Amino acid sequence: MVAEKKKILLVPLDPVHDMGLKLIRKALDDKGHSTVLLPPGMEPYEVVERILDEVEIDFVLVSRTLGYRVGELLARFVDLVEVSGLRDRVTLVVGGMAVRPELAAEMGFDAGFGPGTTPGEVVAFIEDRPFAYGGRAEASEGGKRDLTHGFSYVYRKKEIQKRLAAIAGDIMGWAANKTSPGVERARLRFQALNKGEKYREEFLEEYLDYCDELVVLSYKRKQLPDQTRFLAQDELHFLKQYQNWEGRSKAARSGIRKPDVFIQYGTGCPLMDIMHIKVCEAWGADGLVHFDPSGGARTEGLLEGYLAHGEDGTLLTWENLRLIKNFLAPNTLWQVRAHRGLNTPETVVLAGELGADLTKINMAYASLGAGMDPARITIDGVEAIRWAAHYDLPFDVVTNEELSGVPAHKAFAGMLIIAHLALQLGGRPILQPLFCRSPEVMIYGQMRDNYIDYNAAKILALQQIIDAPLWPGAPIGFLTHTEDRVQSSLTTALHASLARSLGVEAISIASSDEAYAGGPIAAASRVDTLRATHEAFRFFGRAGIQPTPRAREWSKELIAGISKVLKDVANSGSFVQSLYRGLLGGPEDGAYPGRVGRDTLLRKEKGKDV
Amino acid sequence: MQYAERILDAIDMETFILARDEGEAKGFMGRFLADLGFTDHDIVFLEQVGPGVRVRARAYIHRPGGSYGWLAEGDDNGG
Repeated sequence: MVAEKKKILLVPLDPVHDMGLKLIRKALDDKGHSTVLLPPGMEPYEVVERILDEVEIDFVLVSRTLGYRVGELLARFVDLVEVSGLRDRVTLVVGGMAVRPELAAEMGFDAGFGPGTTPGEVVAFIEDRPFAYGGRAEASEGGKRDLTHGFSYVYRKKEIQKRLAAIAGDIMGWAANKTSPGVERARLRFQALNKGEKYREEFLEEYLDYCDELVVLSYKRKQLPDQTRFLAQDELHFLKQYQNWEGRSKAARSGIRKPDVFIQYGTGCPLMDIMHIKVCEAWGADGLVHFDPSGGARTEGLLEGYLAHGEDGTLLTWENLRLIKNFLAPNTLWQVRAHRGLNTPETVVLAGELGADLTKINMAYASLGAGMDPARITIDGVEAIRWAAHYDLPFDVVTNEELSGVPAHKAFAGMLIIAHLALQLGGRPILQPLFCRSPEVMIYGQMRDNYIDYNAAKILALQQIIDAPLWPGAPIGFLTHTEDRVQSSLTTALHASLARSLGVEAISIASSDEAYAGGPIAAASRVDTLRATHEAFRFFGRAGIQPTPRAREWSKELIAGISKVLKDVANSGSFVQSLYRGLLGGPEDGAYPGRVGRDTLLRKEKGKDV
Repeated sequence: MQYAERILDAIDMETFILARDEGEAKGFMGRFLADLGFTDHDIVFLEQVGPGVRVRARAYIHRPGGSYGWLAEGDDNGG
């Protein structure tokens, strides 16, 4: 529909400044409206005379920075318009620094536009149509972004490809006759979700055989773990008022489509999560990562019901996830992590059935950084990858074992093994190098001068190895944050800008509470880093961050290190034994294979212990 | 307000308020500061985005040119 053309008088009621109005005038002219821009510094009565002189003025747009006594000046202007008999004929609008809608209304204006207003926003107001803000609006035109789109997964280092093929072949051969309680629960969960409620009793009879006592008690006696409670029906009911909430949103980028910005939620309560999600979506988050509690990952089986608890991370239940999913904006990417526990395959089934966009799997990280037994998590991980492929669910291969002391080249070797295995099984992996000030760099000094070169080297190395999507995480800037919110937001924004400069597909950012361990993250702290990232993206635009030549040198060293590790793992003949023996990170690095789930594997054919 | 006397000039509070608009949030925050006993306060920043309003409120303890409680406090404690 073509908007009706309007006549607009633009009034810089300011001694000097009229730049904002010039930009707005250009936007209005481009849309075919008729505009008249007055010179700066006119008195209110002179402006009213011009309104009387002009024919059929529809809008008067006044620009003025608010300060001492300016409110009186603007109110006097409105009064003059009123006594001149013009008030019913024209719509009065004020804009400028410190202007807020409610202040504009107090002064008698019909609308007010404050700092950050775009010319397009004003044009939309003139044309009486809703304005879609920045990046999310752009995103909504194109729908959700597939982070793996356009990547060939072609290797650029054939020797590395050959070694990965050998290792992946070993994993599949070793896993062929093995299963686990986690694998079996995933199968049962899938059947239950696809057969409906009538199947429940039959499902539970078998499912609970594979669960820990804590989970069994919750199903049979509604007895929940400590600090855990069921959400009340009225709580769920009252939350509905936010379900179809639509409001003004900010963009986390300016003009450039990528990277998508993910935040991690998981306050322990799905209701609080939902409110944090709505805040983050509004402030420019493109994607959300469901953060689950570490305790749940060490328990065989998933609880059920709408559950809240008083610890970090929100419990993975079908009901909790479905509730959260129902509140997501249509274009928000949603990741349900499956990577680090005894419920890895079942979590992928939940994610797939609920229509999540992404999951997270990495057996090397899970065993070296998250306490899982290598054999158990390898079996569960292979099955999880199969489920991810079944649901066509891309997943990132996280490398947070760097935080346990594993050097980047070893963590990357593990990541590439899992990514290659995924490709063999029909999956769509996304590489997730960690942008961090890891123990490795603290010891060896790669970040003594700057945080740019070594992070850039990681990206350059992976880009030289394979044409695959990259999603630095998780979160970027790990171990550079402090409890100071300005410092924390700034370091996040700078790491985000570096990632953007390197052309990655997505990033995961922390809140400004990242380094605060005393309690839950507050919503305002999430806004801090989203806003800082937005401003940094705006500042750099298409201009890049230039690493020094050292980045290129380190990328070559990383590739050589990765290749050497893969050779050692391939020669060992066993991925799982390589994890136990520390080839992908061991005691000399400060990393030890985990023990959660040890001795729980079953023989596939007969369901017997291996 | 002995502790407050040690505040150099002002105390800021920033939060996210679920509110219909900035005016409502401003009112909530002003009343909240008054309830806390702050008589000289201002709203530094308000921005409605999403399901509520980001607010930064300020309570002045010592305005420039006023009587600085921390001068006396410093003297009491030997400077």
